[in-house]
Amino acid sequence: MKVLVPVKRVVDHNVKIRVKSDGSGVDVANVKMSMNPFDEISVEEALRLKEAGVASEVIVVSIGPAKVEDVLRTALAMGADRAILVETEDKTEPLAVAKILKGVAEAERPGLIIAGKQAIDDDSNQTGQMLSALLGWPQATFASKLEIAEGAAIVTREVDGGLQVIGVTLPAVVTTDLRLNSPRYASLPNIMKAKKKPLERKTPADFGVDTTPRLKVLKTEEPEVRKAGIKVKSVAELVEKLKTHAGLI
Amino acid sequence: MFLSDIHEQVRETARQFADEVIRPVAVELDEQERFPAEIYKEMGALGLFGIGVPEEMGGPGLDTLAYSVVMEELSRGYASVADQCGLVELITTLLVRHGTQEQRTRFLSTIMTAETRVAYCLTEPEAGSDLSGLRTFAERNGTGWKLNGGKIWIHNAPVADVGFVLARTDKNAGHRGMSIFIVDLNQKGVERGPKEHKMGQRASQVGALTFTDVVLPADALLGEEGRGFHMMMSVLDKGRVGIASLAVGIGQAGLEAALDYAQQRRQFGNAIVEFQGVQWLLAEMARDVEAARLLVRSAAMKIDRGDEATKACSMAKWFASDMAVARTADAVQVFGGSGYIRGFEVERLYRDAKITQIYEGTNQIQRMIVARQLIKQGARG
Repeated sequence: MKVLVPVKRVVDHNVKIRVKSDGSGVDVANVKMSMNPFDEISVEEALRLKEAGVASEVIVVSIGPAKVEDVLRTALAMGADRAILVETEDKTEPLAVAKILKGVAEAERPGLIIAGKQAIDDDSNQTGQMLSALLGWPQATFASKLEIAEGAAIVTREVDGGLQVIGVTLPAVVTTDLRLNSPRYASLPNIMKAKKKPLERKTPADFGVDTTPRLKVLKTEEPEVRKAGIKVKSVAELVEKLKTHAGLI
Repeated sequence: MFLSDIHEQVRETARQFADEVIRPVAVELDEQERFPAEIYKEMGALGLFGIGVPEEMGGPGLDTLAYSVVMEELSRGYASVADQCGLVELITTLLVRHGTQEQRTRFLSTIMTAETRVAYCLTEPEAGSDLSGLRTFAERNGTGWKLNGGKIWIHNAPVADVGFVLARTDKNAGHRGMSIFIVDLNQKGVERGPKEHKMGQRASQVGALTFTDVVLPADALLGEEGRGFHMMMSVLDKGRVGIASLAVGIGQAGLEAALDYAQQRRQFGNAIVEFQGVQWLLAEMARDVEAARLLVRSAAMKIDRGDEATKACSMAKWFASDMAVARTADAVQVFGGSGYIRGFEVERLYRDAKITQIYEGTNQIQRMIVARQLIKQGARG
């Protein structure tokens, strides 16, 4: 069984982001970029399936400008077998990404697609769900545990009330949550081997997808700065403030 | 800067490992003077031991620049851990260059996984910077050898399985009468002295070794008989790049800690980073860390291009180690009283930095090397 893992290049999670002064978006000039952390978890899970003899090949795909090759190389260095880069300069939205991934899935025919539940840049949390609908495959989102058994995936999902276990028939789309696994580091020998692994270049047009944005960003602004609190002298005053201040009690 | 995608990826692995695995336990390792076997095992699995070992011999086959980048990042986590990486790099470089097929098969793979612990045994009571006083002697014994003598300040001596020992094989041939032997340190006649308690890099285990009629088989000899001194010296350029990178890592850690603290610590109603006196300390630290890094990378790239690199490596080691001592002292200054307290990172960094001016050739020896190369090659060489 092939496993397909989409990966996205995003601003590194350690970077303190800044909004551009004209409010048109987040400043990404000279900012460290990395693989979306949820996608690292997805790559790790796919690699574990391969090591367990469940998956035969792990294919990673990324959509974006030529620079996204970085994160594909990282995935290859972690152990993925080959990569597909769908090159576009457009800002890609979840629907366009899902349509391209549908095209990739139809060409590659994976038994399983493992995607991050969301990317930490726009936090859309839509691509996996849209992809599942477009392909007509079952979906299991927010996975914290994944087992494959006889043509089905048993997935433990993190839901508001706790954990939910569902079974989906394969092929399926699974999206990963934070507690599924801890991604490995790319070892030095694997970084060198990754240089020789195949990386195929495509364009959205190859899949008949128009990536022209449909959403318009009106304004991006910093969250409001948290105001300093006040000190109270006694419990009585505390209770008083809780009652009178914005009706907290 | 100047790093290829491959070098960036290598740096990322070393940096993440240092941040997530090494740095959080550095205080504890320093306090307990503990050999972190579990960290070394993980480093072995990541290919961080024997970085230059060619792919056909089972290594990553990376260059000196990659080695430098790894050393800097590991040292940012904790210098003792980086120094272990540097030690293994020297030994594996010797084995790759001079070992027989049989010796490589026997030792390389388990040294790279950290299953076999090694020691590079050069220094003696009468032989440090000046190796002409070397007294450890290996005399012919049938087809093999018999080793007598002793070594001091040997990194890993209390824990090592195998020593790479420089010994005289001809008492009358000066530097041409020394050879390297691969010695099983768990055999009869090898005695280990107590672990030394050091000022810094305290997780590195250092001690003495004494050899009394240690019987060595013929295949214990590494490379050619009588070429030991030259073989040891041939890996020192790379060794100096390693220590220089380690010093840059210490300086970088000090800069990061000081900048962070200066933004948090408030006095006179302001974060102290607002005061020019503190700003100038930080600016000088940043300037010197960067200058040292550039010297080190330039030296590494000279080695990788096959250029004459001795002077560049000496200058890098000398400059970077002086920088590390001076600028971690500044980091302590930024922290004020806190910086003098055990458990604060900068207090350890300052202690860890000092030895970089001493080992891998003291900075006085580096001055001699630079001057000699200048006279030999001219001012533009």
